[in-house]
Amino acid sequence: MEKLLKKLLKIPWLILAITLILSAFFFIQMKKNSRMETNLDKYMPQDHPAFVFSDKAEDWFGINDGIIVAIENHNGIFNSETLDTLKQLTKHLQKMKEIEKADVTSLYTADNIIGNEDGMDVRAFYKSVPESARELETLKKNVENNDMIYGRLVSTDQEVTIIIAEIKDDVFTPEFYKKILELTDSYETEDIKIHVAGRPIVEGTMAMLGPSDMKKMVPIVLIVITLVLFFMLRSLKSTLLTMSVVFFSTLWAFGTMAISGIPIYAVSTMIPVMLIAIGVADGIHLYSHLQLFLRKNPGASKKEATSDMLGHMWKPVVMTSLTTAIGFISLLSSEVYPIKYFGIFTAFGVFMAMIFSLVFIPAGIMIFGLPKVKKQKKSSDNIEHNIAYNFAGKILKYKSASILISSLIIIISIVGMQKIWINSSFLDKFEKDSDIVLTDQFINQHFGGTTTLNLILDANGEKDTFKDPEVLQLIEKMQNNVENELPLVGNSFSLTDYLNRMNKVMNADKEEFNTIPDDKKMIAQYLLLYEMSGDPENLNKVVNYDYEKLNVTFQLKSDNSKALNSVLDIINSYEDDFNNLGISVKYAGSGYKGLVFTDLILEGQIMSLILSLIIVIILLSLMFKNLWIGLIGAIPIIITALISFGIMGFLNIPLNTTTALLSSIAIGIGIDYAVHFIEQYRNNAIKSNDKLLVAQQTMAHSGRAISYNAVVVIAGFLVLLFSVFPPNRELGALVSLNMFTSFIGTITIMLVLLNISNIFLKKSQEV
Amino acid sequence: MKTIKLLVSAALIIAGFNANAQLTGEQIIEKTYNLPTGEDQSSTLKMTLTNKQGKQRLRVIKQFTKDFGEVEKKIMFFQSPADIKNTSFMNWSYNSDKNDDQWIYLPALKKIKRISSDSRSDYFMGSDFTYDDLGDRKLNADIHKLLRTETINGKDYYVVESISKDEDYMYSKTITWISKDTFIGIKKEFYDEDGDLLKILSINKTEEVSGFLIITNSEMKNIQKDHTTTISLSDIKINSGISPSKFTERMMTRGM
Repeated sequence: MEKLLKKLLKIPWLILAITLILSAFFFIQMKKNSRMETNLDKYMPQDHPAFVFSDKAEDWFGINDGIIVAIENHNGIFNSETLDTLKQLTKHLQKMKEIEKADVTSLYTADNIIGNEDGMDVRAFYKSVPESARELETLKKNVENNDMIYGRLVSTDQEVTIIIAEIKDDVFTPEFYKKILELTDSYETEDIKIHVAGRPIVEGTMAMLGPSDMKKMVPIVLIVITLVLFFMLRSLKSTLLTMSVVFFSTLWAFGTMAISGIPIYAVSTMIPVMLIAIGVADGIHLYSHLQLFLRKNPGASKKEATSDMLGHMWKPVVMTSLTTAIGFISLLSSEVYPIKYFGIFTAFGVFMAMIFSLVFIPAGIMIFGLPKVKKQKKSSDNIEHNIAYNFAGKILKYKSASILISSLIIIISIVGMQKIWINSSFLDKFEKDSDIVLTDQFINQHFGGTTTLNLILDANGEKDTFKDPEVLQLIEKMQNNVENELPLVGNSFSLTDYLNRMNKVMNADKEEFNTIPDDKKMIAQYLLLYEMSGDPENLNKVVNYDYEKLNVTFQLKSDNSKALNSVLDIINSYEDDFNNLGISVKYAGSGYKGLVFTDLILEGQIMSLILSLIIVIILLSLMFKNLWIGLIGAIPIIITALISFGIMGFLNIPLNTTTALLSSIAIGIGIDYAVHFIEQYRNNAIKSNDKLLVAQQTMAHSGRAISYNAVVVIAGFLVLLFSVFPPNRELGALVSLNMFTSFIGTITIMLVLLNISNIFLKKSQEV
Repeated sequence: MKTIKLLVSAALIIAGFNANAQLTGEQIIEKTYNLPTGEDQSSTLKMTLTNKQGKQRLRVIKQFTKDFGEVEKKIMFFQSPADIKNTSFMNWSYNSDKNDDQWIYLPALKKIKRISSDSRSDYFMGSDFTYDDLGDRKLNADIHKLLRTETINGKDYYVVESISKDEDYMYSKTITWISKDTFIGIKKEFYDEDGDLLKILSINKTEEVSGFLIITNSEMKNIQKDHTTTISLSDIKINSGISPSKFTERMMTRGM
């Protein structure tokens, strides 16, 4: 390996040319074939039973998420102006290419079924806009008396009315959203305010906002890192070569992704982040070594210096890269494809960063010459040297302090971890005062809720089960129980609501008949009557053809996991009752899928965290041929992960898809520090038996490089704190934190443990 | 529910007339519209709905129709499925602008109720036919244009396009294939508001009963929803002299 690398030093121009040509190729591929995946359904594992079932149920009942357009008038909505706006907007939405006419629901499209002494009357609430006070009053009465409209399409304070436009999963685009906003804006007047909300908008905006924010932030991160790196290395050439390793490895990773036809998922935008954090490390360690070598041997030729650098450093560079790459490959255990891809391509990028560091950086040095080592900085180098020696000395003098503090931190972190909760909410990812959150709150205040959970009751082929009064009455009881118990459930909707309404209507609108009839035939006849007089499409949304599958829709005012789980808990308490009637209980819809999806991601993350920890320990043990080294090397990682989760617990930061993924970086980076440090420690230990001196030399060499590395990356990631997308801010803060704790853990507790264990020293004594 | 007259004659029916060489679109549709249907009719109607999952709903209805000149009266008795047996429905449709009178009898409720409804474009009993499709649409509601003539399986057809005068109507246009011999429409395409094909009506079978040519099997397929309704008629009797007393509330409660 070392020989091969040194041979390559003879052909630096060729290496440069090949690198540039291939990079250009990958760049073109990326430009041509890359596409962003914004359809959140594509993120979910299509073959997972929960998703397979949900997709089927969505098909059976036409379950789609809706865009909600809310028309608000503080003077009330029962006036010609507001009703005309409602009518025009409804018609306009119906005519949009992206929306099916029948999928638009509002007071304008709804049927009003009313009962009287004679019989029943099915009418539109209005066709031409009512003008006279009498007409308006009649309309108002009709709305107030119809449970299926009042509180659902018209708020009970009568100041807001909504239009729901259901769209298919793949319809939402930023252009479409813009078109809707332009449309609604054009209808706003002094009195009439219009708000747009709904799950498709939240999902679409989220899938868009994160990556687009990342696109803006990554260049700034790169600039800051480049500047800090330049300040540390004090060489423009070294800085640019190190940064080009990051640049090329990212380019190659995305180029390969484009060639394999894999779209860019929201998590993929974290790949450059990871590669920046990891890729600069190799360069820093190489240059740090080179500088120290040149300091000792000022007259060395570039060939001698580069050869020495490769000879000493290729091993730790390969070791760190392999352990890091394997840490990411462990993400293949996840069931979620975007995360698998994230793992594979980050691992690939890490691997490429290793190749570039070992081949391209030396070639660059051969071509562009050695970095200048400024003589006059001698004094500051001495200071650095002294700091490293003093620090190592202090750490070893007060070993128990490191051990005690580490133990304390571990205990506190474990306490903090107990408080961690999982959040599948999409809305919580936005700023509290963003339009999207405020509109959502507004609609939640006035209506049932913007988040839907679909309960699917399945009689497994037993026809007409859902015409049975006993079954329907149980369903109604459950619906009432959920609605009454949980304030955050605005309302629920199922076949029972239609039957209550029909029963009331057919009994002269008397409130005591607002119940499920006891007679199965009566139920069947009401349903026939509804089909004949109402819109039968409505029934298809709540029950299937054979009356053996039923859809109950719950509307929630929050999409976070706590809210969804509290509904599931109550429903599940009815599961035995349903099972006894031969009915199984399942769920569907975007709210439920989001919940399952988050659980899947977290499960996968925790699995892969444990898996990669074990693999890293084994790898380290093999590399250094000693199990203890594997365990000691894992200490900074474990501490880093614990602190990260502990702080999240204390600060009430929930585990979500972004924050969970961060644990990967703790391992990826933490292990690098440890490997470099241990490798250097071993080299020094072979030459000397003075435990203190070994520690001090290691600190001056690896400790120095690690601290450079930590400072550079932390500075870069702190930039993300200025991001407009909250998850990206969390990312910046937590990456910085992880870098810091890994760094501190390596040079304190790990050094202490190395020192106590006497591992390499013993060996060298034996030899 | 003027409709049900057209259940009997599903879309555009019945024979007579020799093809005239140079008819306008308007004249062709008028001839189709005015095909004779007899004084009264009774039949058994089987309606099969098939949804996109391939599930089916079958309904069997015994129906009677009689033309009283100013008013056409219809009465229907549901035969199956069992849980709606003897549910009955009566409709009086007036030649004037007066709205239809409708009654429903639910045996479980043991009460006759009047129904009034203002929805003209609504689908009939969950089927793919709207009331308009079933024949309630007035001749002068559309502008008709003869597009071309076509020969299919050796028979000649007029192809007529009809565009609604009302811009908000649910169909932007319909295209009808009308037999040159009989003036029966054998196929009709319905285009939605965006101009996309929505539904196709095909006449599968016609039979001669008492000298009248009757459509006995027709199928409406909604292309966009992948939903199909098939209507077939049997036991057809025409001009059998159905008593006017058949079309009363009292008869509704008696069942078949």
